[in-house]
Amino acid sequence: MSEAAIQARELTRRFGDFVAVDHATFQVQTGQVFGFLGPNGAGKTTTIRMLTGLLPPSSGVARVAGLDPAAESRRLRGRLGYMSQLFSLYGDLTVAENIDLFGGLYEVTGERFRARRAWVLEMAGLEGQEKRLTAELPLGWKQRLALGCAVLHEPPILFLDEPTSGVDPVARRAFWDLIDALAEGGTTVLVSTHYMEEAEYCNRLLLMNRGRVIAEGTPGELRARLETPDASLEDVFVELVRREGGAVVG
Amino acid sequence: MISVPRVRALLRKELRQLFRDPKTKRMVFGAPIIQLLLFGYAVNTDVTRVATFVVDHDRTEASRALLDAFTAPGYFQVVGRSARPADLDAALDRGSVAVGLWIPRGFAADLAGGRGATVQVLVDGTNSNTATVAQGYATRIVRSFGLARAGAGGTGAGGANAAPLPTGVDLRTRAWYNPDLASRVYNVPAVVALILILMCFLLTAMTVVRERELGTLEQLMVSPLSAGELMLGKTLPVALIGLADLVLVVAVAILWFDIPFRGNPLLLLAASAVFILASLGLGLFISTVSNTQQEAFMGMFMVILPLIILSGFMYPIHTMPDFFQGLTLLNPLRYFLEIVRGVFLKGAGLAVLWPQLLVLTAMAAGILTLATLRFRRTLR
Amino acid sequence: MIDAVRLLAMARKETIQIRRDPRSLALAFAVPVLMLIFFGYAITWDVDDLPLAVVNEDAGTRGERLVDAFTASGYFVVAVRPARRSDADGLLVRGSVAGVLIIPPDFSRRMSAGGPAPVQFLLDGADANTATIALNYAEAIAGRWSRDAVLSGRTVALPADAESRVWYNPTLASRNMIVPGLIAVIMSIIAAMLTALTIAREWERGTMEQLASTPVHRLEVVLGKLLPYVVIGMADVALAVAVGVTLFGVPLNGSVLLLAVLTLLFLLGALGLGIFISAALKSQVLATQVAMVATYLPALLLSGFLFDIASMPAVLRAITLVIPARYYVAVTRGIFLKGVGIQVLWVQGVAMLIFATVGLGLATLAFRKRIAA
Repeated sequence: MSEAAIQARELTRRFGDFVAVDHATFQVQTGQVFGFLGPNGAGKTTTIRMLTGLLPPSSGVARVAGLDPAAESRRLRGRLGYMSQLFSLYGDLTVAENIDLFGGLYEVTGERFRARRAWVLEMAGLEGQEKRLTAELPLGWKQRLALGCAVLHEPPILFLDEPTSGVDPVARRAFWDLIDALAEGGTTVLVSTHYMEEAEYCNRLLLMNRGRVIAEGTPGELRARLETPDASLEDVFVELVRREGGAVVG
Repeated sequence: MISVPRVRALLRKELRQLFRDPKTKRMVFGAPIIQLLLFGYAVNTDVTRVATFVVDHDRTEASRALLDAFTAPGYFQVVGRSARPADLDAALDRGSVAVGLWIPRGFAADLAGGRGATVQVLVDGTNSNTATVAQGYATRIVRSFGLARAGAGGTGAGGANAAPLPTGVDLRTRAWYNPDLASRVYNVPAVVALILILMCFLLTAMTVVRERELGTLEQLMVSPLSAGELMLGKTLPVALIGLADLVLVVAVAILWFDIPFRGNPLLLLAASAVFILASLGLGLFISTVSNTQQEAFMGMFMVILPLIILSGFMYPIHTMPDFFQGLTLLNPLRYFLEIVRGVFLKGAGLAVLWPQLLVLTAMAAGILTLATLRFRRTLR
Repeated sequence: MIDAVRLLAMARKETIQIRRDPRSLALAFAVPVLMLIFFGYAITWDVDDLPLAVVNEDAGTRGERLVDAFTASGYFVVAVRPARRSDADGLLVRGSVAGVLIIPPDFSRRMSAGGPAPVQFLLDGADANTATIALNYAEAIAGRWSRDAVLSGRTVALPADAESRVWYNPTLASRNMIVPGLIAVIMSIIAAMLTALTIAREWERGTMEQLASTPVHRLEVVLGKLLPYVVIGMADVALAVAVGVTLFGVPLNGSVLLLAVLTLLFLLGALGLGIFISAALKSQVLATQVAMVATYLPALLLSGFLFDIASMPAVLRAITLVIPARYYVAVTRGIFLKGVGIQVLWVQGVAMLIFATVGLGLATLAFRKRIAA
């Protein structure tokens, strides 16, 4: 089997005495949609930050697209796409200007840029809206645009940190359709969310609570850990945490 | 290692954001104009039209002539008269006048008799600067009035000795560069420096910190953008704005305020470019220690205030205590001001100003290096 | 209909928040101290030891006597003695000397003959203020020496002379002028900045809406918020006065009580204005900037603190009429240096009262839409 797109081994991050991520170990295969599940404060964002090279780990090692994010972050950047939890587009720029910026940052130029730009506009449903200020868009459209900008340069690996926060359920469904389409195209997608029902859309899941990985597997495998086959993942989560002896935080 | 397309993309975004923000337009055009007006008109240490109260107990032709001589040059303006000295006291207490002139009875007689006529000049010392100057003017006017009258009348001082009035030293003074000794000639060129440092310092700090505050900085950091490219993208637009303001302020200074420009514009341009670099560095540095725009603004305020006070901008350096004079040696604004004033007023060229330019360049390099190092570190 | 309990509760909450925000506190005390040090020590217009260049070409000895008179006055120091006049030009360009005294070769001869003996005095006019003062000093020194030298022995009175007396600040120390006015400036800045900072923060956090749902009355909110800042402001003034009197030796000739009362009025107005600014703007950043421009700059430049209002053009003079700091500077100077009381300062007192009313009124109005009466 080819090398996994994302690997983490004993990844740990401390802030003083506080352990934000505690020896996380997992793998993501190419083309998978991998979900980080957990309440606020579980350590999802911190883990993603370590994987993208934004934050160095206190200990442990990671490999993304065959590179070590802590040591080779510059080389890595062109190969990954990232959508931050905070809103990552410039509200005072128009839709077209934001796309322009990302094109320039990732050096997507000429004919390729024109093609990608058209693709992003179509995918986000913003054709004809190029001159609108991004701040004026409804949240759902903003998220789609942000996703489009994140993959403008067609990265093999995509990190999405709580991309659907605050978006209505219909728009959320549409967003996940986009993620599926990307994955079918061969992109590895690592998504974090605290909406338990979104977990169903992922190939594999990582459950985190208070910095620790408490379970990993497909949605089906995780449900099997409980004796009730049609339990919701939320029930699964609460039960597994209880078995760990801890309480759900957040 | 600097990718031109990336920097260009960043520049385009920065300029778009800057010009779309109404605050920017206010700052870029409004602030210089306001400051020019303030420093051209309000910051005025010229002593003119000082409110004067007159008590004339002599009421002779001579005393009236003295009053004319007193007010003719325009330094003093009589706003009140009375026969009662108590009124003069009250006017001084109230602050409605700054100078009181009391001509005693017998003034004309003493003057004619060569006995040495004396008038009383009372000066409100609360504004010590005005008081010192007013005192000097008053004394000078009275004395030359007396000498002129005595010369014309033919009665020399000394009465019986009747020798021709000794004249002694004839001090011929000439003020170079600013013959009328107008304070705005000193103040307005300095506004050039003030605008540059405010603009570049503030804009740089605010734009960087705003990205951090909004979270967009993170997005930039994940892209292939390098720290160097980010810096260029952030500082180049500000530098351009700074240069635009430089031209605006110099034009207004020359055309509206009639400030002479006797030196080489290229020298001013070169020095301004170096000074802009230093200000950009300061802005970058503050941006690395501020998490919010609020903090950036406060930080800037804390730094700029001492920089301005200890630079010779409004107050001359040579009257400061030695310790503070020493501090001014570390202030890039001090050196830039010397260049600005030298170029405007004295027509000084590189031959004279090279030490200041050298020190300024070294400082700019130092500040920028420090700021860059810190900036890189905080991006990690 | 103000309920003291609710008022105190507001004040208590505000105090706790202030205590927990070290930045505000540092601002409240560090800024005044910093400004006192800078303005009190660094800035002075007291002109002495002005560097002078002397070119003495005199064949005789009297030229040197004249130079001695210049240095003996304490106002000038001979920094350099160029051999030729032309050397002196470079000194002026470089700004290394304030003036150049050029004594011609025939000076002693002409003085012995009774004069007139011309002497050139070139000034660096770029610094107009210093040059004006230097000019007056030089003329006074030359005049006095000249009379003594020529007359040596004979007592002669000038035909007319002025006997001048300086009131309120006999030593003409610029510190006495600056420090009292500085207190006014500090108060303006602190008041506006503090309130703008903290109130805007509350708008941004949405807690103001929370308050609106409670039975609290608008005026209670305003006064409750003001109370801790009034305390801080008065403490700042006390600190500044103490430093001014003990460290800088500024005389305090008037009534401290009157100063306290008028300061309180000024504070109320300035704080009210700060609340109004931040309530009207809601963005912390913008509020701070506007507060600075609307209070700091006018207080510094247009209040009479450093620059005489009388010398300003008519338009600016009119503008100063609506700048509260102008009246407060008159109050501090009046009480410190002039020792005058309410009989003279009643004008300023009325202005302060108006200012306080307007400030508080605006502040209360600002809450109108958000908190019902």
